[in-house]
Amino acid sequence: MVQSTVGRPAGDRHPDKPPLSLQNVHVSYATRRGKVQAVRNVSVDLHAGESLALIGESGSGKSTLGLAIVRLLPETARIEPGVITYRRKDREVDVLKLSRSEMRAFRWSDCAMVFQAALNAFNPVLKVWAQALDTAQAHGWHDKPAIRRRLVELLEFVQLDPKRVIDAYPHELSGGMRQRVLLALALLLNPQVLILDEPTTALDIITQRTIIKLLRQLKQEDHFTMIFISHDLAIAAELADRVATMYAGRIVELGTSDDIFYRPRHPYTLGLIRAVPTVTGGFEQLFSIPGSPPDLVKLPSGCKFHPRCTFATERCQQEEPELELVGAEHSAACWNWREVQAELQRNPLHRGALNVLDGIGSEVEGS
Amino acid sequence: MSTSAPVVETARQRPSVAGWGLWRFVTQNFYVRRLFKALVTVWVVSTIIFFLIRLLPGNPVEQYISRLIETQGMDYENARMQAAALFAIDLDAPLWVQYGEYLGNLLSGNLGVSITSPGTPVTAMIGRFLPWTLFSVGVGLILSFTLGILLGLMMAYRREGVLDHVLTILASIVSSVPNYLLGILLVVWLGVQWKVLPIAQMRGTMSPGVVPAFTFAFVYDALYHAFLPIFTYVLTTMGNWMLSMKGSTVGTLGEDFVTVARARGLNDWRITTAYVGRNAALPLFTQLTIAIGFVVGGSFLIETIFQYQGIGYVLGSAIAQRDYPVMQGVFLVITMSVILANLLADFLYGWLDPRIKVS
Ligand SMILES: Nc1ncnc2c1ncn2[C@@H]1O[C@H](COP(=O)(O)OP(=O)(O)O)[C@@H](O)[C@H]1O
Ligand code: SF4
Ligand SMILES: [Mg+2]
Repeated sequence: MVQSTVGRPAGDRHPDKPPLSLQNVHVSYATRRGKVQAVRNVSVDLHAGESLALIGESGSGKSTLGLAIVRLLPETARIEPGVITYRRKDREVDVLKLSRSEMRAFRWSDCAMVFQAALNAFNPVLKVWAQALDTAQAHGWHDKPAIRRRLVELLEFVQLDPKRVIDAYPHELSGGMRQRVLLALALLLNPQVLILDEPTTALDIITQRTIIKLLRQLKQEDHFTMIFISHDLAIAAELADRVATMYAGRIVELGTSDDIFYRPRHPYTLGLIRAVPTVTGGFEQLFSIPGSPPDLVKLPSGCKFHPRCTFATERCQQEEPELELVGAEHSAACWNWREVQAELQRNPLHRGALNVLDGIGSEVEGS
Repeated sequence: MSTSAPVVETARQRPSVAGWGLWRFVTQNFYVRRLFKALVTVWVVSTIIFFLIRLLPGNPVEQYISRLIETQGMDYENARMQAAALFAIDLDAPLWVQYGEYLGNLLSGNLGVSITSPGTPVTAMIGRFLPWTLFSVGVGLILSFTLGILLGLMMAYRREGVLDHVLTILASIVSSVPNYLLGILLVVWLGVQWKVLPIAQMRGTMSPGVVPAFTFAFVYDALYHAFLPIFTYVLTTMGNWMLSMKGSTVGTLGEDFVTVARARGLNDWRITTAYVGRNAALPLFTQLTIAIGFVVGGSFLIETIFQYQGIGYVLGSAIAQRDYPVMQGVFLVITMSVILANLLADFLYGWLDPRIKVS
């Protein structure tokens, strides 16, 4: 049902050409204190139909990277240097070189972004229908009955009663409902890329489950390429094909979901996984990464993680490691990734942490 | 993948079919409540005016009586009878009967008779002069509000630019000048010193020989005579609108829904008007209706300075000549205009902002 109504025809896919490539992307904010280097040297290809999770502590540059792709950063931000390439069918565009009106057309119809704070995502004085209509008309779609049919279909997909929601004002909807309306609206124009920035944060656990279930359904049709930003590892594990760990603006580890959660090679990723609390208590084995994220204006020398890293050696203070292959599709930026591997053999990941990851998955599956 | 039966949620505040009648009752109640509040306020204020005029030491009725005795050599009884006729009250009746009659007179539109133009009912005077005030103040407020909102929006979009800085300074200066001072300065500079404007000719509300009708000549003449009052209102109130709108717009521009609107690819015009402008202007509408109420009351200095015969001018001369029935009538009109403006604010706001009706 979902496949036929929400997705696009499968012929749209170009398996060999990634719909979105980031090359060497840097983002900095000009502030009074100096240049905040929020994103540094990020290169990643998004393959058609895959979902990539960006994980990392808050402040690691995940939202900045998401906003850079749709160029919605505040005026103080600079994307320099860097190339963002978007491909759809035979079209290939350099996102950072698009004109104002081309950029406007690109947003939402090619690449939709669902924001962290969906509570205030809607204009409070316009009904849901008016805002959907605005969205469609901004992209040259003026056939009202067709727009309405499409919206009804999508609202049903996100399990809302279209009759009630279409003519409601935003304040008449709960937070979870607004988040789902935004998700429905994001699908309105059949975008190829969907960026979801903490789509479940600030929602109660029941609503979180509903949204995760919807996103799983979306993921299963491989028409959507998703970037999924979350600091909640369990949700990332649940929804992502590949995972990128970000630290101090850089991707420090990139691999399949299994690689990252079962065979992490970067001490920071390992720390994040060991910090996941278990459902059945077990506080005694709960681990937390010592120290706090670095000041992005004055970054430490060498590996940016070295002041907090238990694996750090002399070299880490001098030279910053680049991403290198540590497995078939798995890379990490750490001089001592083999030490991490050895440590995992000595001290396997605690079953508790893994249970959480498995647990959420099966729970959602069964609901 | 097995999908369980969809859990369909309904909007929180929306009523079910059964709750529809109740919901409508509550909506109506909102308006009924506001209307009731306005009526009670009118009643309280008229009552206060009644007791002020009758019970305070040196009250106008007594003063008028003693003035008649002094100036015209009338005896007390005659003076008292004349006073009773002018104020449209029966001074011999017990107070509560007087009060009842006063309220009855108010309801039937009888506000007494002017002392200085004997024989002219106060309501007739109000009917003749009030429209001019409503016209000049109305045009002035609409102009200053519209201009202020547009300039404020522009300042917010170009904030920290040269234009913004210049306009902010100008707006702060003009909004701190009291309107009567600006009025006097205009008369002195434009009319007397530089002789740019024929001040004497511009006095009054109409030129002799012009008949009120919906003709170009009349509208032009009315605007010609109202030009200085309107100009003064616009200049002295626009600064506040600009600064309020700028502040409100800067706040709105930072809202998530504006970023989301841009993410949705809406064009700048639509975002500026329907998303930013409309939301930023919302709080200003309440201020606008309150301003309407107060400008009618505050018009009297301006109208006196420019010799513009509106209700404020009438009040000015009534105060100067101690024409108490007229003063009482005009005060009632001013009260009514404040209350009506507040009522308008409630209704308008409920209509402009869908969130209001719920609470
Ligand atoms: N508008 C801004 N001006 C200056 N610094 C900013 C701005 N937005 C974000 N930052 C900084 O950039 C860094 C990355 O932020 P963000 O991308 O929001 O991280 P995340 O989404 O991973 O929590 C943080 O250190 C944050 O303080
Ligand atoms: S490079 Fe050194 S400091 Fe950085 S993560 Fe690896 S071990 Fe730790
Ligand atoms: Mg974020």
